[in-house]
Amino acid sequence: MIQAKNVSLRYIDGTVALREINLNVKPGEFVYIVGPSGSGKTSLLKLLMGIEFPSAGSLYVMDQPVLKKETRKIRKLRQNIGPVFQEFRLIQGRTALENVLMGMRFLDIPKRQMIINAKNALVKVGLEHKASVMVEKLSFGEAQRVAIARAVARKPALILADEPTGNLDYDNAINIMNLLYNFRDKNTTVLVTTHATHLIDNYQDASLIRVEKGKIHVERRGAKV
Amino acid sequence: MKNTFYFIKESIRIFRYNKLSNLFSFFGTALILFLLALVVGVWSISSQLAGMLKEEAEISAYFNKDVENAEDLLHIIEQIDGVRYVRLVNEEEARSRMEKILGDESDILDLFEENPFEAYFEVKIHLDKMDPVFTQISGLKGIDYVRENRDVLEQIERISKALEVLGYLVIAAVSITTLVIISHMIRQGIYQNHEQIKTLMLLGAPDNFINFPYVLLGFLLTFGGGIVATVFINILIHQGYSMLTGTIPFIPVPPKSQLVYGLSTFLLSVSAALGILGSLFGVSTSKKKK
Repeated sequence: MIQAKNVSLRYIDGTVALREINLNVKPGEFVYIVGPSGSGKTSLLKLLMGIEFPSAGSLYVMDQPVLKKETRKIRKLRQNIGPVFQEFRLIQGRTALENVLMGMRFLDIPKRQMIINAKNALVKVGLEHKASVMVEKLSFGEAQRVAIARAVARKPALILADEPTGNLDYDNAINIMNLLYNFRDKNTTVLVTTHATHLIDNYQDASLIRVEKGKIHVERRGAKV
Repeated sequence: MKNTFYFIKESIRIFRYNKLSNLFSFFGTALILFLLALVVGVWSISSQLAGMLKEEAEISAYFNKDVENAEDLLHIIEQIDGVRYVRLVNEEEARSRMEKILGDESDILDLFEENPFEAYFEVKIHLDKMDPVFTQISGLKGIDYVRENRDVLEQIERISKALEVLGYLVIAAVSITTLVIISHMIRQGIYQNHEQIKTLMLLGAPDNFINFPYVLLGFLLTFGGGIVATVFINILIHQGYSMLTGTIPFIPVPPKSQLVYGLSTFLLSVSAALGILGSLFGVSTSKKKK
């Protein structure tokens, strides 16, 4: 699913975010990426989404090389990824249902199926009763769950969740973690970044990768579903 | 097809983001297109007028009294290349024509004891062959004097050409102005929605999907402006024709239905094309982060 070989990421201002990382994530794996703030977790997810590009080394996501010149292919690659952004990135002025649908409108999914997927995803995140509520009227936790519903409704091969529990209280954070954990599937690989290591103790069969100062090392290799 | 309603709703939403500015763009475009229709209408009428007058291009060839058989000379003139039609106008008809021209003043002709008018050939010609025809008829044996109305025809031709040039200039000016207005409006819409666009890009939406509501809005605004301009130009044509036929009925204007149909088709086609081009230009020149 993901193969990174000696990948480095240096930003335009000279900051080195990742240093010669090697990573191999298999299909169906559930991976927690932990590390303190500013360690490079978000940079790693940005690379995997093709928002940033390796300064050195080679990176493949779903057999697609992540290269700057491959703009069109990167956009296509993103269609197979379910992203959950740290800042949610919900589209304002739309309902929760419309936001979930927005992630599927340009995919090859029939309209009826698209609506079924969206409603099912909202049921899974426990927000079916908020389907017609404008997203700006939702609470922080609810907005986070809509973002998760948008990511999973299109049944992606890879879910990338960046700090999905940031700014949430403990109970809500555990709920979100459980939610993501329950989306693991033999066809769906899930990568979740978090700096709250105490939240992941309960998920012993998940892989655990630690990022520190741009370097990564695999602490635990979990079982595939 | 599954996104038809979504695209329409998005276009309306983008319109609402900057309602006042978009409304001004809409009415501005309608006004510009209306002015374009006015110029093109006048150009069309003047071209038709020039064309009709060209058909009337003629020279008058006067022959001397030694000519025994004017019919023989008429047949010779008929054979000249560039001559469309020749007719012999005898002395009586020449006098009668002058009486018509003079109207109430025609009594003055009674002062002459004899008919002062001479018979002549009325020769309808192709305007572009005026010079060779004039030279050939002048050189015929028995022809005394040849008169042509070239000055008037050339004047009309010049006015018609000037209007044609003006028409092209106005079309160019209108096209550029409309393209700038629409593309600017689209860029403004994209700028105001850049966060949404960025999110869609991150979700993997292709450019066509992202751009379509903007192109649709640009098209609808310009085409809507075209419809408004068409309605007003039709009202103006109806008013104008009723005034013309009442006061100066001899002006050879084209049939009303022909002018209405021609201008309406022109305006709607131009507005549709400019709408699409302006929107595409706006979308392609807006800076979007990939």
